Amino acid sequence: MIKFERHTLTNGLRVIVHHDESTPMVTTNILYDAGSRDEDPRATGFAHLFEHLMFGGTPSVPFFDVPVMMAGGENNAFTNNDITNYYITLPSNNLEAALWLEADRMRGLDLREERLNNQKSVVTEEFRQRYLNQPYGDLQLLLRPLAYKVHPYRWPAIGMDISHIEKADSRSAKEFYDRFYNPSNCILSVAGSVDPEVVFTLAEERFGHIPSGEHNGRRLEQEPEQDERRELTVHRNVPAAHLIMAFHTGPRVSRDFYVLDLLTDILAGYDSARFPSILIRKKELFSDADIYLSGEADPGLVIFSGRIREGIDIKDAEGAVTAELNHLAEEYVTTAELEKARNRYESNRLMSYMSAANKAFNLAYQEVLGDAEGINSEREQYMSVTAEEIMVASQCTFRPGNCSVIHYLPAKR
Amino acid sequence: MYLQTRQLQCYPLSSSKEMKAGEPKAAPVIITPSAGVISFPEMARLGNGVPVYLIDKGTVDLMRIECVFQAGQIMEEVHLSALSASAMLTEGTRSYDAATINDLIDSTGAALYHLADKDTASLLTITLTRKLDEVLALAGEVLFRPSFPDHEFRLLTDRRIQAFLTSRQKTSVIAREAFYEALCGAENPYGRIARESDYRSLTTGDLRRFHQKHYLPLNMYITVAGRYPEQTLPLLEKHFGINGRDGSGRPVRPILHFATARPVKIFCEIPGSVQSTVRLGWDGITRNHPDYQGLQVATTILGGYFGSRLMRNIREEKGYTYGIHAVAGSFREKGYIVIMTDVANEYREAAVKEIKKEIRILCEDEVTDEEMTLVRNHLMGETARMFDGPFTIAETVRGIIDHETGHDYYNRFTETIRSITPGKIKELFNTYFNIDEAFEIIAGAR
Repeated sequence: MIKFERHTLTNGLRVIVHHDESTPMVTTNILYDAGSRDEDPRATGFAHLFEHLMFGGTPSVPFFDVPVMMAGGENNAFTNNDITNYYITLPSNNLEAALWLEADRMRGLDLREERLNNQKSVVTEEFRQRYLNQPYGDLQLLLRPLAYKVHPYRWPAIGMDISHIEKADSRSAKEFYDRFYNPSNCILSVAGSVDPEVVFTLAEERFGHIPSGEHNGRRLEQEPEQDERRELTVHRNVPAAHLIMAFHTGPRVSRDFYVLDLLTDILAGYDSARFPSILIRKKELFSDADIYLSGEADPGLVIFSGRIREGIDIKDAEGAVTAELNHLAEEYVTTAELEKARNRYESNRLMSYMSAANKAFNLAYQEVLGDAEGINSEREQYMSVTAEEIMVASQCTFRPGNCSVIHYLPAKR
Repeated sequence: MYLQTRQLQCYPLSSSKEMKAGEPKAAPVIITPSAGVISFPEMARLGNGVPVYLIDKGTVDLMRIECVFQAGQIMEEVHLSALSASAMLTEGTRSYDAATINDLIDSTGAALYHLADKDTASLLTITLTRKLDEVLALAGEVLFRPSFPDHEFRLLTDRRIQAFLTSRQKTSVIAREAFYEALCGAENPYGRIARESDYRSLTTGDLRRFHQKHYLPLNMYITVAGRYPEQTLPLLEKHFGINGRDGSGRPVRPILHFATARPVKIFCEIPGSVQSTVRLGWDGITRNHPDYQGLQVATTILGGYFGSRLMRNIREEKGYTYGIHAVAGSFREKGYIVIMTDVANEYREAAVKEIKKEIRILCEDEVTDEEMTLVRNHLMGETARMFDGPFTIAETVRGIIDHETGHDYYNRFTETIRSITPGKIKELFNTYFNIDEAFEIIAGAR
């Protein structure tokens, strides 16, 4: 059980504090409700590029990292399809410095062209390093436009194409900043050896003067139901074939999510799970086989991803995965399987409590999903999943018409 | 630099956001971080003499137990036997087949990781405290009674060959291997590069021999981290304390021969890659050398943090790369200094030139007090974080034990951080970063 206190400032900034006296550190986590789903389809990758700009300095703090380091802190950020998240972990007696820095860049960011141009080059190299210069690195770039036709999840957070990043200009950066980077569109959570009342007072002092702005006014067209199998075959310079099968699921906050999340553990969450036992060891079709939820706020995907053994036809490999998924629709998972998945969930949950930074992020993330209390109430959601629910969810999800398939094959030499 | 920002009393705005009535407060006073006095955890011994380090301060009912053996690649007589023996531990024992072991482990919710590197091998277990007895029984079984079955070994070998072939496409992997080979020699276990034929010729007999010789209680120590670690001692005694009373000896570490490191320029061609990995490096020193800690401070200034000289120049000004890092690292018996970055093919020569320029500046000009303070504070914060939480402490403690640096290593390090002078930093750059004697490795498209 994670105890926390909540307080909303008059400008709409939601502040959540978790007291953890076991650490001499404190983490401030600031989550902006802005991600790649909020981008213009002609300028994808922009939310992530903007995250880089947030480290570019302000008139009062020319180098963001300098005061963080002076305070003995570390900091970083990430962007995904839904959110952009920033954190600073530092000795708790420097909490005020972290709040000052976050407030400062929420309102006075340097968005000059020169700064932007530089980060465009950096992000271009990030794009190349992570997605183009890695074997199988472009799978994410291929999957999203195959699985989504309407919703902005059809591009990955890094963007569709390097050319989009090159086109970004400072006018759109300013618009993005004004629309999303304001108190009413963000959540501040703090975890560590700090007194909640002190944090609320400091938050008021540091953030209270920032105009609230407007909530982002997001209205996204939702993805229509997929009714036909989609298939894409590509050839690349890789040693082994790779199979992706993606199925549409419900939103993050839905019973569907918890049922399928527990199911993916039963299928591939540990060595004795079904896929390692059957697809890797018994049938010797795959060298690795995983299945996981993409986990986005809007309806997401459950994705099978497997590397195929040499000499195995990808169609046979796909047939075996399909057989396993169909089996779930016909026969209940066993009590022992459910028990294992629950035990694993319990260990992972406790593991995530080992770090105050992790708790701070999770509180903010649950709050943006609807309620920070989710950090505690989710446990019951997982523990109460039944074999019947898993069967029904499998029947609804693993349908041929709901599937997007990628056959990623070695180029012929 | 920070003091200047503190003197600004108002916040000039570069965006159009309007300010409410009432100015925001001035910047807060930043308190100089301190790692405090760091104490080394207590040690107990099992009946057979195995040392157990007890790391307290847990807050949840989860334990981390790591059994570490002197069973890394330097002990290999047959190439890859250390890594494969470690990977095969959970693939079958005298009592259970692989499926049963996995089933038993997974029923407890525990996670077992087998790890092996150049110097050591270990079994790391993270488990709910209430499952400790079952999990330790399994850990003892896989560590001391593995059977190395042929069928599982064949499957594992196939998986590893596939992963090996995939890694041949990665510029970062190829450049790293070429660097260690140039530094230590092609025959030295730190420098040797695996080939596909090494995977194919390895047998389960090789693994059995390696295991028999090295996975011995007398060749092991244990770290226990979590809440009330001393309460695990009776269980550790039950599952690990029984073996090895017969005094089977601890294997002697071989004397390693190192090729005379000569400066080289190596280009590894990886057709079609859109970026190149650049590695520029030197022969270094191990953790017990008197300059090692100072060198940590020096490489931090050069390329050890986000605002380092190299990051500011090559990432933030030139935009050549997503990241560039400088490290003074050390295997147990060989130190090295390396600068590494992934850059677009067309920037790689320019990147090398800029790296050398930054080193030249540090050889000629002393670092300002301002920059020294920044780096001191940063390293102090880093050190404090290495002792934040029992699981993190367990990792840090392992480094101290494996490198035999002495229990007061981090207290000495914080003293070095506080007291090292700009003059000493300059001297270190002149001693260890000789531009004309660098290893220069580039992996990428021609």
